[in-house]
Amino acid sequence: MDTIIKTTGISKIYNPGMPDEMRALSDINIEIGREEIALLKGPSGSGKTTLLSLIGCMSRPSEGSIFINGKDVAGLPERFLAEIRRKTFGFIFQHFNLIRGLSALENIMLPLYPTNIKISEIRERTETIIMDFGLLDKKKTLVERLSGGEQQRTAIARALIGNPDIILADEPTAHLDTKLSEELLEILFALNKKGKTIIIATHDPFVYGRDMIGRIIEMRDGTIQEVTGSS
Amino acid sequence: MERHKKILEYSLSSLSRRKYKNLSIIVVYTLMVAFMASILFMTHSFKEEALSVFTNAPDLIVQKVTGGRHDLIPVDYIQFIEKIPGVKSATPRYWGYYYDATTDGTYTIIGLTENREELKLVRGAMPASGGECAIGRGIMEARMAYIGGEILFFDSKREVLTLSIAGIFEAESDLLTNDLIVMRKEDSLRLLGIPDNKATDLAVEVYNETEVNTIARKITFNLHGTRPITKNEILRTYDSLFNWRAGMIFAVFIGPLAAFCILVWDKATGLSAEERKEIGILKAIGWDSSDILEQKLYEGAAISLTSFLTGIILAYIHIYFFDASFLAPALKGWSVLFPSYRLMPQINLYHIFSMFFLIVVPYTAVTIIPSWKVSVTDPDVVMR
Repeated sequence: MDTIIKTTGISKIYNPGMPDEMRALSDINIEIGREEIALLKGPSGSGKTTLLSLIGCMSRPSEGSIFINGKDVAGLPERFLAEIRRKTFGFIFQHFNLIRGLSALENIMLPLYPTNIKISEIRERTETIIMDFGLLDKKKTLVERLSGGEQQRTAIARALIGNPDIILADEPTAHLDTKLSEELLEILFALNKKGKTIIIATHDPFVYGRDMIGRIIEMRDGTIQEVTGSS
Repeated sequence: MERHKKILEYSLSSLSRRKYKNLSIIVVYTLMVAFMASILFMTHSFKEEALSVFTNAPDLIVQKVTGGRHDLIPVDYIQFIEKIPGVKSATPRYWGYYYDATTDGTYTIIGLTENREELKLVRGAMPASGGECAIGRGIMEARMAYIGGEILFFDSKREVLTLSIAGIFEAESDLLTNDLIVMRKEDSLRLLGIPDNKATDLAVEVYNETEVNTIARKITFNLHGTRPITKNEILRTYDSLFNWRAGMIFAVFIGPLAAFCILVWDKATGLSAEERKEIGILKAIGWDSSDILEQKLYEGAAISLTSFLTGIILAYIHIYFFDASFLAPALKGWSVLFPSYRLMPQINLYHIFSMFFLIVVPYTAVTIIPSWKVSVTDPDVVMR
């Protein structure tokens, strides 16, 4: 299995040089293979979300390098990072982070707005994905009026609209009941079977111990404690 | 192109999502533009009207001043003035004011010695003989007068002077003719109590405009107690008068204007937690900082342009359809314009562009700054 993500000696310091300086990550070295499901496991404050953000190019490391598909992205200018985020990653956030006041359809279409893809094509693509996720009758409903499960599926659909290689999920089951959590994991595992690399950051025991998870990276206090299940 | 179109579409939907906030900004912004544009439109119209009126004015007006006040001038001064090299002609002018107690209005009286080209009649004729007059629209309305009808005055000896109305002036020259009554010289002398050998002032025409000041100096030097006034001086006086009045209004309204600006600034520049989060989400799902700025630029421009155009239209309607009812008392306040005065539409593109660059451009820029600050921050930080 070839490596899709590799980090070498990355650390993240918030507010460097200020009285409230905080070291969130120290010397993180990991590798994640293509089409693998990796789990970032650890208690709150262990640095899972920060690591996920660094991998997803949502922030830059204070030290070290991050290789995505073999290319070091740590020092790339903002506009390249935005393109990488759009083309390579699909994000599923803990609170879904859907934009209120927009319909499910509009939320799903959003990642493709700043592209030169025609609106008709985006709409077509979105209709297909909306059908796959059983949201057809809710497509024009404002997201704040959707149920938790529907919001979750909308968020996943939005993550997939750009057909990314890697799905990053940050505490995806944190606000879901058992049934919806199970449903979410099934969707993620199904996506993995279709060739997507999945990275899940969680401290929910419900997610642990699944056969599909290929690699478990255990974190504590901004460092990696243990990596298991690597191929 | 496709990309810009979609970002524009998103911007418009974003505006409609925060309709109450944006509507309140638009209302305040529109009022501010309407207020400023009203002042500019009105002063510009006054200036243009004054300019058009004085196009046919004599190059030089010679008045007599006694004890610091305007006095009647001896007509035989003309003989001296006409001998000054460069003077084409010198003619006496007979004019004055008449207070009409029945309408509580002050009218301008002009006695004709020859037909004046700048006075255009809407209908009827100029007074051809004694006992006739032509009147402005304001007087026609105030006295409910009509062509063929009669108009009564009390002359300087409190005797009744009856004139028949031969013509009515048209609206285009309202500034000059609205409160004007033109009659033959002999009637005006009687009404205004001017002796035969005197005139209100003298109108002097010169061959070469560049010599006007030299001729004026010669008149002052040789005819003691005279005050020559050049056409340019009159135009400059009007210009400064209306600039001063507009400036006064701006000064009076500077407090409310500042409050408006602060309110707009506060509303426009403060990003709510939700807006910050939205920028973070957009960045996280692949929007670039420039995409966010473009979106915010469209939003700011849409608000700005809507308010600006609405404000300009409101100002136009206020000034030219409602006779500047809010500003008239401050900007007009000019007794000779009584009984009423309708401004003719005058738009100065320079003023429009100036306002555009002084209001729309800074507003749009100001609204972008907070969004720019957020958009250049890592999405991870913005969303935390």
